[in-house]
Amino acid sequence: MLVPANLLPVLSTESSGSNTSNTIVSGVIELWRQGLWALALIVFTASVVIPVLKVLGLSWLLLNARRAAPKNPRRLTKIYAALDFIGRWSMLDVFLAAFLAGLVRFGEFSTVTPRSGIVAFAAAVVLTMLATKAFDPRVLWQAAEAPHH
Amino acid sequence: MSPTHRLSCHVCGQEHRIVELLSGEKAHCVRCGAVLAERSRLGPDTALVFSITGLVLAPSAALLTFVSAGKLGAVRISHLFTGVGSLWEGGMRSLAVLVLLCGGLVPFTLLVVLAAACTRSRLGLVVDRLGALSRTAHVLEHWAIPEVQVLAVLVAFMKLGSVVNVKIGPGFWCYSAMAVSLLIAQHSFDSDFVTGPTRTNEPESAAPP
Repeated sequence: MLVPANLLPVLSTESSGSNTSNTIVSGVIELWRQGLWALALIVFTASVVIPVLKVLGLSWLLLNARRAAPKNPRRLTKIYAALDFIGRWSMLDVFLAAFLAGLVRFGEFSTVTPRSGIVAFAAAVVLTMLATKAFDPRVLWQAAEAPHH
Repeated sequence: MSPTHRLSCHVCGQEHRIVELLSGEKAHCVRCGAVLAERSRLGPDTALVFSITGLVLAPSAALLTFVSAGKLGAVRISHLFTGVGSLWEGGMRSLAVLVLLCGGLVPFTLLVVLAAACTRSRLGLVVDRLGALSRTAHVLEHWAIPEVQVLAVLVAFMKLGSVVNVKIGPGFWCYSAMAVSLLIAQHSFDSDFVTGPTRTNEPESAAPP
C-alpha cells in the first residue's frame, strides 16, 4: 500500500481556477520551497521516513525471530519498542487531509479535496500498526533461550 | 507467592515479584530493561483526576469552534468533526470512520474506561491487571491518538497562514487540553495499576522470581 500511497495524489487544491494535485513527496517539496522547512521535515518524517522504517524494522525483527538464536535480543526488543512508539505519528497526514478538507472550502476561491492516495496511505498506516501489534517480542527471547544443537 | 502476586514482563515474558514503588521510582525488567511500572510523582489519584478532566473537556472540544478560516470576506468555521463530514460526503467513508475513531470516539471511550477503572480501584474494588477494564484500556490506547491530530492542526495552521486568514478557536484548546489529560491519565494508570493492588514491603523495585 505504500507504493500507491506515494505515487497517487493525496490532496488536490483548486484556487482561482487552477487545479494542483500533490503526492506526499511533492507536498513536502512545496513546503520546502515555501520556506516552511520545519514543517516539511515534520511531514516528511511522519509520512515517508516512519512508514518505511516500520516496514524495514518489522522485516528485520521477523527475520531474527526465525533464526535459531537471534543475536542481542535486548537490542531487538528496543527496536520493537521504538517501532511501536513511532507508528501512530504516521497518522499525521491522514488527520491533516481530513482537517484541510473540512476547512478549506471556499468554492472557486480555494478548495482542498482529498484524493485516492490518502486512502492507500491510511491503509498502509493501519496495516503496519496492526502488524506491529501482532508481533510478539517474546519470541525473540524464547528463540534465544531455546537449546541448540 | 500466588501467581497474582507476580508480574510478567509484557516485552520478554520474564516474571517478577510485585513490590511497592516510591513516588517517582521505576521498575525495570531485569532481562530486557523494559519499564514494568512507574510510581507517579503526582500522587495515587492522578489517573482518576486527569481522566475526569479529559471527560469534562471532551464536549467543549466537540461542540465549540475548532478553527475559523477567512478568505476574501468569506469565513468558514470548522469543528472537530467537520473534516470527518467532508470525507464522508466525498465518498471516502472508510477514511472518515478512521479519523472519527482515532481522533474522537476511541480517546473518549478510553477516558471513560480509565475513569471507571480508577473509580473502582478508589472504592476498594479489586481491579485485576488482566481484568476487562485493563484489557480494554490497553487495546484502546493504541488507537487513541488525539495528540497526532493536535500536531496535524498546528501543521495545517502554519501551512494555511499565508493563503487564508486562520484563527484557532476555543474548541481546539479544549481538545489539546483533553489530549494532554489523556496522556497523563494513561501514563499514571499503567503505573498505579501495576503497583497498586498488590503491594508488598520489599525494598527492591523489581526482582526476578
